[in-house]
Amino acid sequence: MKPDTIICRCEDITYQDVLDAIQMGMRTVTEVKKAIRAGMGPCQGRTCGRLIAQIISQETGKPISEVWDSSHRPPLMTTPMGVLAGGHCDEE
Amino acid sequence: MKHDYINTGILRLTDFQVPPPERRRAGRVIMIECVQNIPCNPCSTICPQGAITIEGDITNIPVVDFSKCNGCGLCVANCPGLAIFMVDESIGDNSAEVGIPYEFSPFPEKGEIVSVYDRSGKIICDGEIVRVRNPKSYNKTAVIYFRVPIQFSLDARFIKRKADKAKTPIH
Amino acid sequence: MRLRNHPILEFKEQRVIHFTFDGQDITALEGDTIAAALHAAGIRTLSHSLRRHHPRGLFCAIGKCSSCLMEVDGCPNVKTCLVPVKDGMVVKSQDGWGRFPSATSRKDYQRKEIPTRETDIAIVGAGPAGLSAAIYAARLGARVMVMDENYLVGGQLIKQTHMFFGSKDHYAKTRGIDIGTLLRQQCDELAIEILTECSVIGYYHPHELAMVHKRKLNHVKAKAVIIATGASENMLTFPGNDLPGVYGAGAIQTLMNVYKVKPAERVLMVGAGNIGVIVSYQLLQAGVDVVAVVEATPKIGAYQVHASKLVRCGVPILTSHSIVKAYGNESVEGAVVAQLDNKWNIIPGTERDVAIDTICLSVGLNPASEILDQAGCRMLYIPELGGQVAVIDRNMETSVSGLYVAGDVSGIEEASSAMLEGRLAGVAAVQSLHGSSPQIEKLKHEIQSGLDALRTGPFGEKTRIGNKIMTEAAS
Repeated sequence: MKPDTIICRCEDITYQDVLDAIQMGMRTVTEVKKAIRAGMGPCQGRTCGRLIAQIISQETGKPISEVWDSSHRPPLMTTPMGVLAGGHCDEE
Repeated sequence: MKHDYINTGILRLTDFQVPPPERRRAGRVIMIECVQNIPCNPCSTICPQGAITIEGDITNIPVVDFSKCNGCGLCVANCPGLAIFMVDESIGDNSAEVGIPYEFSPFPEKGEIVSVYDRSGKIICDGEIVRVRNPKSYNKTAVIYFRVPIQFSLDARFIKRKADKAKTPIH
Repeated sequence: MRLRNHPILEFKEQRVIHFTFDGQDITALEGDTIAAALHAAGIRTLSHSLRRHHPRGLFCAIGKCSSCLMEVDGCPNVKTCLVPVKDGMVVKSQDGWGRFPSATSRKDYQRKEIPTRETDIAIVGAGPAGLSAAIYAARLGARVMVMDENYLVGGQLIKQTHMFFGSKDHYAKTRGIDIGTLLRQQCDELAIEILTECSVIGYYHPHELAMVHKRKLNHVKAKAVIIATGASENMLTFPGNDLPGVYGAGAIQTLMNVYKVKPAERVLMVGAGNIGVIVSYQLLQAGVDVVAVVEATPKIGAYQVHASKLVRCGVPILTSHSIVKAYGNESVEGAVVAQLDNKWNIIPGTERDVAIDTICLSVGLNPASEILDQAGCRMLYIPELGGQVAVIDRNMETSVSGLYVAGDVSGIEEASSAMLEGRLAGVAAVQSLHGSSPQIEKLKHEIQSGLDALRTGPFGEKTRIGNKIMTEAAS
């Protein structure tokens, strides 16, 4: 695999970036996310989560079930700040 | 290897029930090329002659009683897998008539000469369109009958109009 | 390019619409999403990536991957695969985060209060599972509300132009698109409320949802919730995988069969499961060349009948082959494929260059189970079911009482089983509200036996194994 292959499209994180994070001691998808922001973009890891789990599993020999943890919280989908902040409207 | 269709997608005549030569020479009859236990049964429920049966589980393979099949073609249009074909070796003249399910547009016309493909996607001969059956009840899966030299009667499985641009797949 | 004729799809008169993309006038048809209209106009690059400024196009076309974010009428980060075009819309490609929302677009968010909508059963997802759940629950007298992110109802059924398997009870030999219409009609007859362009962004105990409907936050209060969010398509790691022109196979199917856009000229399909093989055949029906289907394993995963109907058209299925890389500047211009040995390594000397403009990935689906994890359901990674799934009982109920699942989110299967699971979840949810009755027990028994029947045979094996793992974990 070429080192500059994109793993997380939202945050432009490459294969090499993920390897580096594993080298630094990250052992789960969440740890990799906290180290290098992979999975923190608008899709919230829906595209890259599995790929990162596969790479960690390959590099550490641990099964995917052990490395693919998750910590989902609201908002679950890309939500504009304006939706949450709202703001008062008199005309409505 | 016995089951090499799993590696190539190409079935052989030994993989399914083939109507015996005397039945083929007696007129139109179906060939069901359905070899896996998938959950599906419309062929058996639509056949007016009771020629197709699926015993027990819905995933069992359909079994044809060739003596009951009258070649009506309903099952050809109603098979969700497009896996039923028609063969007729009764027409003489060293040719045979083959019927296939067809879901491409536009349809070829009666009398048109088309390229005939085998199960592997190879062109094996030319064919002449005899009939295009596309009543509303077929729900957009037409059944197209065409004539081929008799030695191709069991292998002709697809047609392309000569006007259609030749595709260039990699092999 | 648009499709002009098609053996299965019907063409209706659609009003012509004009909008602008980066200042350029684009002609679209009413009913197009922004992304579909741009594809019809030959525009595939929708944005540039955050740090490396790589060109990006859409990947999933169903609101999951966020690769299609653009600025629409002054508002950044709009999922253009979900939003229908309107006359006079101003669409701009986005670089990275995009710009601060314009004053006029900020007005869209303003509201007096957050409205609360109350219902008996809230259903998230309007695909085969969600709609079936709604129909069965409503028939038993429950008030239901269905929510879906897309503006069209029917989930992935709306692009399935092929006939379905099964028996009469599973709509066998009916095309998926027609099943979608049938389910929609049944919902209409039962006066079921279906909210489209509606994202559920959070679950709160007990059975309250935060939901965004057309840029307005809503509060939903229910007595039971059914999650039928489906699945998203898996990505694959290979150089060039982020180029515009690399799509999920389902995305191509959406562009072609829902919006009638000719999505490509020459395609390489990656993955020979049912989706890969079916979409390849449908590409041929749309007049697109498919050069080959490559499959990394030695075996074709699709039903043989699907493989047969593709191969006899002249499209080879190359097992033990994979994509090595994709290349191109702004968009895919070609790919290299190669043969693999039994340890998944490339056999040197087997690399081949293929000239194509599009790569379709059909390398599996991932249950869209994020909301279940967030809700606190007990989750398990079960590869046989496709990924992270909630642990459920025979009634489709998760470890959170009154929270049910149905369809692909509970484990990847076919639409026929999704419909049965939906019915079961619908009936079980009503039972949780009103208690049991002989009618309910009979219905549940019938549906459960139907599901068991679908899962007999070799193709049901994965689900059977997955469900066994789950049952063992649950006890």
